[in-house]
Amino acid sequence: MGAVAKSDVFWRSALQGIRHQPFPHAVAVLILAISLFALGLGRAAGGLLQGLLRGLDAEVQVTVWLRAEARPADIERLSASLRARGFEVSLVTPRAALERLVHDLGPSAESLRGMSADALPASLELRVPAPWRTTEALRRLGAELGAEPEVSAVDFGEAAVERLGALARLLRWGGLFAFAVVLGATVAVVGATLQLAIYARREEVEIQKLVGATDRFVRAPFLIEGLLQGLAGAVLALVGLAVVRQWIEPQVEGLFGFLRLPGGAPPLWAGARTLELLGAGALLGLLGSFLAVTRALRA
Amino acid sequence: MIQMFHVTKAYPGDPPVLTDVNLTVDKGEFVFLTGPSGAGKTTLLKLVFCAEQPTRGQILVGGRNVARIRDASIPYLRRNIGVVFQDFKLLPHRTVLDNVAFTLDVLGTPRAESRERVLRMLKLVGLQHKAESLPLKLSGGEQQRVVIARALVNDPTILLADEPTGNLDPALTVEILDLLCEVNVRGTTVVVATHDATLLERYQKRVIRLERGRVVGDTAQVQVTRRTG
Repeated sequence: MGAVAKSDVFWRSALQGIRHQPFPHAVAVLILAISLFALGLGRAAGGLLQGLLRGLDAEVQVTVWLRAEARPADIERLSASLRARGFEVSLVTPRAALERLVHDLGPSAESLRGMSADALPASLELRVPAPWRTTEALRRLGAELGAEPEVSAVDFGEAAVERLGALARLLRWGGLFAFAVVLGATVAVVGATLQLAIYARREEVEIQKLVGATDRFVRAPFLIEGLLQGLAGAVLALVGLAVVRQWIEPQVEGLFGFLRLPGGAPPLWAGARTLELLGAGALLGLLGSFLAVTRALRA
Repeated sequence: MIQMFHVTKAYPGDPPVLTDVNLTVDKGEFVFLTGPSGAGKTTLLKLVFCAEQPTRGQILVGGRNVARIRDASIPYLRRNIGVVFQDFKLLPHRTVLDNVAFTLDVLGTPRAESRERVLRMLKLVGLQHKAESLPLKLSGGEQQRVVIARALVNDPTILLADEPTGNLDPALTVEILDLLCEVNVRGTTVVVATHDATLLERYQKRVIRLERGRVVGDTAQVQVTRRTG
């Protein structure tokens, strides 16, 4: 019964506190909203980039250059074994390779006039399944294919794969660092703002302690205030993100369409992220108020 | 109920506020603590309800040594001690009823029971008709009675009052002291710090006199001396 009664007291006290001092609470909500908006934007941008990387990743292609003397049966055997392992295999004959080169060069292809149809080597173009799309795996594949008697060289765009991997790592660590900085700054600023609110209620806290309130009892209403501020900040941030989404989404879809990446543009904002943001807001609000009231009680 | 043994209180860099104080207040006693400003009256009261810790000595409150009490235990001690200050310390945005109920909120008393007890206490101090008023709409005497009600609503064994009539006119002063005497008759140990000599004259209670942090007079000891002498 005591716990229920106390809970009722805490909520009433928290709501009264907000009602009597709206300004510091409004400031805290605004700061939280801005930080959460930045976090949400960062998450959405991160999601887009991940989608972009996945799309580019899917374009990883391995070219297996074939020796001129390779027999069609051996080439077919090699192709079949690769298909069995999940690769999409396309044979590019010397004539097809020349036609492709002429097409790519455009007006400059004039210089190729009179070139023999067998001038370029045949090749197998492999569309790489997901498990193979790492530098290590591709190196292993390259070494394995290079040992085949029909194969003269293997090209898997090592440099591009490494760059993609490095970019993904940079984004991941950069994102974590930015998140930590924003988190720390938000907690510090919200805590400082809440200290103003606590200071303004110092008399109430003094009386509470005088009549025998424990630190936990004093702290509880302020934690509730922090929680409500965090949730309010998250809601504001979500509204802002919804507005931004309206403006950005058509442009993102256009970009993914232009790049002709498979799967199209990922959604800018998934439903689960709404819960994430609300949770982050609640946590930030609670943390900021906890630090503020702990400092005040120590003083 | 309250025992002090060789209690000294000093702040770093300053002369001691209290020096070698020895006193005993029995259960149910009414004691005036008097002396000029700066004599150490407020500090002595603060030591009893653990707003300060002594530099040396022992303090027993209700048989419990509070000189070395842990911080976590202080709230539980204070639930048995009511404190009344000169400057009232009422929350201006809360009604009289909510101000008094503050003490019961801390104990987790259910709202219905809390309201009943508060109204009973307000009746005792003659303010049941002001339950829904805000403190600023009350006179000084009424505000002090609200503070007394808040201090007593959870039936503490000890009531400490630090210059409770300092801001009140003579008529109201008598009103408040009469109320404290009534509280004492009901069994609560009352200690009132005051420098108002007229009160000491009017209410013939035990008087402990402090000067420059030392106990220089105690009418209880005088009475004992007279009885045994």
